[in-house]
Amino acid sequence: MEFQLPELGEGVYEGEFLKWRVKAGDSVAYDQPLCEIMTDKATIEIPSPFQGVLQELRVQVGRVVAVGEVLLTYQASGKSPKAAPEKESISANPSISEVSLATRVLAAPSVRKLARESGVDLSQVCGSGPQGRVMKEDLKKPKATSFAHERCMPSSHENRVPFRGLRKKIAEKMRLSKDRAAHFTYVEEADMTALVALRAEAKIFAAKRGVKLTYLPFVMKAMALALKEYPLLNAFLDEARGEIVYQEDCHIGLSIQTDEGLTAPVVRSVSQRSILEIAQQIADLVERAKNQKLTLEDFQGSTITLTNIGSIGGLFSTPIINYPEVAIVGFNKIFKKPVVIEGSIVIRDWSYFSVSLDHRVVDGAVGAEYMKLMLEFLQSPHLLGLI
Amino acid sequence: MKYAEKKTEVVVLGAGPAGYVCAIRLAQLGKKVMVVDRAEVGGVCLNRGCIPSKALIHAAGILEKAKHAGPMGIEISGVKVHLEQMMRWKDGIVAQLTSGVKSLLKANACDFLAGEARFLDAKTLEVKSAEGNWRCSFDSCVIATGSSPTKIPSIAVDQEKILDSTAALNLKTIPSSMLCIGGGYIGLELGTFYSKLGTKVHIVESGQFLAQVDPALTQVVLKRLEKKGVLLHPNSQVRACKSQGDLQEVTFSDGKKEQKVQVEKVLVTVGRTPNSKGLGLEKVGLQTDDRGFLKVDAQQRTEVAHLYAIGDIAGPPLLAHKGSQEGMIAAEVIAGLPSRFDALGMPYVVFTDPEIASVGWTEQEAKQHGVSVEVGTFPYQANGRALSIGSSDGLVKVVGDKKTGRLLGVHIVGAEASNLISEASLGLELGAFMEDLALTIHPHPTLSETLKEAAEAALGHAIHVVQKKKDSVLVS
Repeated sequence: MEFQLPELGEGVYEGEFLKWRVKAGDSVAYDQPLCEIMTDKATIEIPSPFQGVLQELRVQVGRVVAVGEVLLTYQASGKSPKAAPEKESISANPSISEVSLATRVLAAPSVRKLARESGVDLSQVCGSGPQGRVMKEDLKKPKATSFAHERCMPSSHENRVPFRGLRKKIAEKMRLSKDRAAHFTYVEEADMTALVALRAEAKIFAAKRGVKLTYLPFVMKAMALALKEYPLLNAFLDEARGEIVYQEDCHIGLSIQTDEGLTAPVVRSVSQRSILEIAQQIADLVERAKNQKLTLEDFQGSTITLTNIGSIGGLFSTPIINYPEVAIVGFNKIFKKPVVIEGSIVIRDWSYFSVSLDHRVVDGAVGAEYMKLMLEFLQSPHLLGLI
Repeated sequence: MKYAEKKTEVVVLGAGPAGYVCAIRLAQLGKKVMVVDRAEVGGVCLNRGCIPSKALIHAAGILEKAKHAGPMGIEISGVKVHLEQMMRWKDGIVAQLTSGVKSLLKANACDFLAGEARFLDAKTLEVKSAEGNWRCSFDSCVIATGSSPTKIPSIAVDQEKILDSTAALNLKTIPSSMLCIGGGYIGLELGTFYSKLGTKVHIVESGQFLAQVDPALTQVVLKRLEKKGVLLHPNSQVRACKSQGDLQEVTFSDGKKEQKVQVEKVLVTVGRTPNSKGLGLEKVGLQTDDRGFLKVDAQQRTEVAHLYAIGDIAGPPLLAHKGSQEGMIAAEVIAGLPSRFDALGMPYVVFTDPEIASVGWTEQEAKQHGVSVEVGTFPYQANGRALSIGSSDGLVKVVGDKKTGRLLGVHIVGAEASNLISEASLGLELGAFMEDLALTIHPHPTLSETLKEAAEAALGHAIHVVQKKKDSVLVS
């Protein structure tokens, strides 16, 4: 019997094969993890839908596997408790009439071959040729630069590790964002004294209810409330249809650094939730991110992203947009600073905020107005309860 | 039984156009290869199919031209056919090609073993031959055993009076009359050949002639056959075939009326059956479908991971070039390359008179896929070159997507159709638009201009036929 890569979730057609959790000859039980697949959203464990002895493991680590591809063969034992996939494991050689000549991707045979060799799904490539034709260059772009570099000649004075998994996904996502969006970053400072005081008080209140309260829920709440007046920052650009798509709800992706690399799980419906509810959601996501227990759903559907590197230091940063979103807010460290207020120098809690925008969609003035309103909420945090 | 042991990385079972191509490609990729075939290298294609039949068909064409050169001012008298010499000439070509394949296999260090092969288990084959028996163990095996003429249970082929295509390519005398059962491409090609030699030919077909082909193309061929005196019996079932002295009496009926015809030879061309019996497939856990074909994926893998199938046995269409392409893919997959069968068009050629060649969707197929089409037709009659070689029967049909202008198919009936079609195949693979075909300069005076003009006709602006005003195709 053959076991094929099952459906991984909506809109996910392939993933990078990270590792086998079993080996040929192993007896496996139902639901025992067989392997790990990294999609562009998350790392997924593939559980065994059968009980039996594994015969042949067909996939090499590091390869991109498509949904429906045979991962392994096995000898089944016992009856499957779930409806085993009855689907024919081998599809007939696609005869010519089955290929839709009218809708196939426009690409020459040489380009199709290169795509296979590079593990690229042509239907996911945005062709630069006439009528969206995929050209060889469209496939080569990311690699051409690294191949050309003389540092890529292996030598004995270096330690080479495979560039794959989450690292590779991050690279692809960042490259995509920088290639598509027209980035610009706007920075503003904020007097956080009132918020620091409020949080100190609220922290005790929250702790009694088992919630660890950081500044993040306040920032998220301010982001979400300001979006109500500037919904363009909560939109995305559908290039194919030529439409700007406004999102009704506000789901904030939160950048979290893990040992494997950066991830951005999503805090849901922020504008409708209380500060404590937001705090609980964040705590849950952070916990699961550290233990690698996040699921595919945790990564789906963010409309704007918040990144926070203040815990390490730095004044401010210019983060890369979590494409296809159009805005990412950078929240930095809060520090004590002497400032001049009404002619005297006083010590205040201070912080810098940045917002990186896709200038194709959001103009600088709109971004600045949004920042102004968001900081108004944070500088006078009692206003957060007003809307 | 005593066996001599052999061990190799890959065994290719069958040395036809799928198998030998696969073996050479494997060798190029550094694999140790053994080719096993029960008879010879070259398979049906070289020995009993494409090559010998096309040699004979070409010879008959020369005869035809010689007989009808009068209007050009050439009078040839005393034109005679020496069939035995014609067959010797044909055999010479076959010998030259098969020895060429043999030396290619040798030059690529592919071992060749002549004998009957059978699986003992998933990693071992038994090969029996006149020189002894071998037991060959392998890591991977490519099954390329091809196909044979399909038999009709009630009509026993004796290769004397009742022939299959193999015997029809080796007759010593020209039969006075012949009846072909089956009006597919083999029946029409061989029927045409013998008709040109002077044989009175009947072709009986249970449905429509060349069922897969666009009827507009078939029509041109059928008209010409009828003009030559070939008797065509579509929608007719053969009821009986009896010996009447030296003749065969064939009874067939179109459902309304029954006919009896007495002929010297009966030719059975009702299709081809994959050679999947007697291979011991059950020993390796492989099952064929009910027609005898092995199922494969786009990498030519069967249900058993290290066993591959290519060519006729891997399913229709049964075409040598399809087998060769699959052979390349299987070889590359075995060598660890990410190849797969992803061709968009599978061209085919029928060597009737005139020839038919086609690639991509017909008008009908496009409609079945829910695509609204723009069709452009251009007749050979309006092409200077066609007239000057005395071949004005024919037409080119270009089928494109009405919405996008994409090229979906090209269908040709006419002289040299076989040599014209590859331009269309390339266009299809490259993702050409009809406009690309129309904007490409085609040299004058050639038959290839008909493709350009058919594309122009589809776009509403062919020069050499009068075009009715129509909305020009949207090309965004």
